[in-house]
Amino acid sequence: MPDRPEITGTLLQKPQYVGTRILRTEDPRFLTGRARYTDDVRLPGMLEAAFLRSPHAHARIASIDVSAAQALPGVHGVFTGRDLAAVLAPFVSTVAGRGGVRPLTQHAIPFDKARHVGDPVAVVVADSRYLAEDACDAIAVEWEALPAVVDPEAALAPGAPLVHDDVPDNNFAHIEFASGDVERRFAEADRVFSKRFHHGRLSPAPLETRAVVADFDRSTGAVTIWTSSQTPHLVRSLLVPVLGIPESRIRVIADAVGGGFGLKCQVFKEEAVIPALSKLVGRPVKWIEDRREHLAASVHAKEVISYLDIACTREGRFLAFRARYVGVNGAYQAHPWTALVDPMTTAAALPNLYDVRDVAYQIDCPYTNRCMTGAYRGVGRTPGTTARESLIDDIARELAIDPVELRLRNCIGDAPSVSATGARYDGGTYRACIEKARAACDYDGFRARQAAARAAGRHLGIGFSPYVEPTAWGSDMAKVQGYVASEIFDAAQVTVEPDGSVSVSAGLHNHGQGLETTLAQVAADTLGVRIEDVRVSMGDTAVAPYGFGTHSSRAAVIGGGTVMRAGTEVRRKMARIVGHLLEVSPEDVEFRDGAAQVRGVPGKRMTIAEIAAVAYFGGARRPPDMEPALTSTRSFDPHEVWPNGCVVAAVEVDVETGGVRIEKLWSVEDCGVLINPMIVEGQTAGALAQAVGGALLEELAYDENGQLLAGTLVDYLYPSSTEVPPMEFLHVETPSPVTEGGMKGMGEGGLSVTGAAIVNAVADALAPFGITITRTPLSPTTILALLREARERRAAPTAA
Amino acid sequence: MSAAQPSDAKRLVTLTVNGLERSGVAEPRTLLVDFLRHELGLTGTHVGCEHGVCGACTVRMDGEPIRACIVLAVQAQGASIETIEGLADGEALHPIQQAFREAHGLQCGFCTPGMVLAVQSLLEENADPSEQEIREYLSGNVCRCTGYVGIVAAVQRAARKLAGAE
Ligand code: FES
Ligand code: FES
Repeated sequence: MPDRPEITGTLLQKPQYVGTRILRTEDPRFLTGRARYTDDVRLPGMLEAAFLRSPHAHARIASIDVSAAQALPGVHGVFTGRDLAAVLAPFVSTVAGRGGVRPLTQHAIPFDKARHVGDPVAVVVADSRYLAEDACDAIAVEWEALPAVVDPEAALAPGAPLVHDDVPDNNFAHIEFASGDVERRFAEADRVFSKRFHHGRLSPAPLETRAVVADFDRSTGAVTIWTSSQTPHLVRSLLVPVLGIPESRIRVIADAVGGGFGLKCQVFKEEAVIPALSKLVGRPVKWIEDRREHLAASVHAKEVISYLDIACTREGRFLAFRARYVGVNGAYQAHPWTALVDPMTTAAALPNLYDVRDVAYQIDCPYTNRCMTGAYRGVGRTPGTTARESLIDDIARELAIDPVELRLRNCIGDAPSVSATGARYDGGTYRACIEKARAACDYDGFRARQAAARAAGRHLGIGFSPYVEPTAWGSDMAKVQGYVASEIFDAAQVTVEPDGSVSVSAGLHNHGQGLETTLAQVAADTLGVRIEDVRVSMGDTAVAPYGFGTHSSRAAVIGGGTVMRAGTEVRRKMARIVGHLLEVSPEDVEFRDGAAQVRGVPGKRMTIAEIAAVAYFGGARRPPDMEPALTSTRSFDPHEVWPNGCVVAAVEVDVETGGVRIEKLWSVEDCGVLINPMIVEGQTAGALAQAVGGALLEELAYDENGQLLAGTLVDYLYPSSTEVPPMEFLHVETPSPVTEGGMKGMGEGGLSVTGAAIVNAVADALAPFGITITRTPLSPTTILALLREARERRAAPTAA
Repeated sequence: MSAAQPSDAKRLVTLTVNGLERSGVAEPRTLLVDFLRHELGLTGTHVGCEHGVCGACTVRMDGEPIRACIVLAVQAQGASIETIEGLADGEALHPIQQAFREAHGLQCGFCTPGMVLAVQSLLEENADPSEQEIREYLSGNVCRCTGYVGIVAAVQRAARKLAGAE
């Protein structure tokens, strides 16, 4: 396999920065309003675009009349799907190499019918956004309503209305997997437990919506695209076939990005439409998505219906897992990962850290008349973990085994191992993290408090959710997650400039992860320079080496690895120069604080600036066979990396109002070597808060006609500072044997599993009522309904 | 973004921004946030929802924190506006800005300008707020990144700094 990791980069023996809580170097420009987000870009002659979007879930466009809009002053063009199809090729989305998947060809703007509320119908270019929206109002569309496909399971049934006329069963993919002898295990088991769990529909909903500015230059045939993206090179590569412009003539700039959370690692049709408009009108064009468009027409995520069966012994030893997952897609495919990004990774994570060899699953991924689904931090794991961990708590209650003990009983050992779904775990602290979490939350003390509170009519509960999870997506990880033909890596360039300062350029993207700081920490400790002398840049394809951007907890591991590799080459070159000039062996040259020092000879020393001057301008003073310039570009494609951890939630449920108050969340995480614990904790905190939203507050509900019921932030409820509880973070640090520097990657675990911990805590609090939780979010209405149903069940005479 | 009717009744709006008198052209329907960002070029104030919920557009008008996405530019005629661009003193960050950096109170930075200005008002009203008071005061300013952990710590730190204790 090409470029699979041999570990070649090395940090200095005594790192000065890696492992410390260094403050973020990027902060001042964000704190002073100096950061440049896409909407802050203003070009001479720039026009603005607005989309007219469908108010209907499913309707044929009988006619569309743009003449009145066209005639408005300040309007430069009104374009329908057909107009754009003349200059834009369609996107073709599939999971390459994967059987059972039916590729979807999608036009940037559909021209036969609208398939969800928010589907674009036309786009206007005008002098200002205000005028563009006025013109949208002036477009006359004659609609013929069609029956909407809303229920995902009904969508799969014969005779259902079709979202795409050429997809006869509404199913994007049917995938089956089995390992071991699952049916036999189920037949032999003492007990079989089953559950249907319906995880709610969420949106990553970053605070900055999507945004695109494009400037097509007719004189060169080149286009510059500013876009709020996590993956600038991916945007560039994937737009080539759609725009028909060679990659060398497309420049993508993603400067400041106001949050992504996976949403912006997809390449959107709007990112093709705006450059096409710039080409058509011959002027730069800006489009800033408004919040309603964002909620109705970007991507939704995490709505998976899980049917899960667990076979186990009387003592609670798990024997086999069997699942069927229905990934509730909307009407299109998020490019390039597709709607399988949730159910396929849900399935890949089915056994997780449980020692179960017999595992089978099936996946279906129906189209419905809703917004398409795509990536959101913790893809697939959030719904899958919630379903599995809540069933495990049900089992614990049923078998009267302590839920923490039940998990420990079934947990894999620490050594590297291969899961039943083929995941190559690189070793971890699976049990230790559960035990550490149990100690941190004073589990026994909580149980005592819970008993006392129950006696007083108050309902406290505690829930655990341990995990091992995929990070640092390189090619191996992409394949084991189901993207069987994907090759993914990243590259970085490290340069010691002629004056001795250091430039690092990476194909990743920094949108809150503190990468400018962490990559500078790694670079400084690889080269032996002061961190103030390092400048890290990302986000411009004209400058950065190729990369796949920041998502899937990959940036610290892969970015750190590429910087270590390239930096080590540069350091070795500097050591050779010093060895040559001071007549010592390069092996005896040590770097620290911006200078090279010959070991044991205090007087023999050169600053990095002196070395750089020789490298660039030293002529004959350089070692004879050495090229000038101190620079290296290297790439890294790591093996699978699997950090692990455990989240605990403690809650109190008010059975009168149905309200859930989270007392506290604990997160124990082993993500290998920590580059910057402050940043790691910040990432964890953000993920935990998003999980609070997903478990209790957020839901992109549709009514039975496919109308979106959560089109504003009054209905789609972000967790606010009063709903997010105090949190405690604990670290275990087990270096990965398969990455440069031993980093393991993190950032998603909190969102992958905290919802499950909260669900389990609520179920634990309400255990005396005999309720079973089968869906999220747990709004007060849902909790009250669960309590009412449980009461009615108890009151009803037992069925014969 | 748009109101119902286009209007060519453009007018000159004059106001004080960060201590300087500024003028620009606005339609009656132009939002204050669009006026600040696009007419006056002060892009530090952000837009997250345009319907008054997220707090990203928070600026201070005559000393009070307001949501610039639900105020019209013409309503700000003659007012004194403070935005994030006015907070630092040259290269020296304001103590609240410093505290946000030291306590890791920001990630993507999109909520940060509005959050920092809201904190300025909070600490003017209550120099030593409890954690609960901080959480309640800031509950109208959404941060999607930090889980508020660093923000709450930053406010506590800023309070100590402003009291001269740090
Ligand atoms: S943009 Fe004004 S409150 Fe959200
Ligand atoms: S830092 Fe990203 S929204 Fe607050």
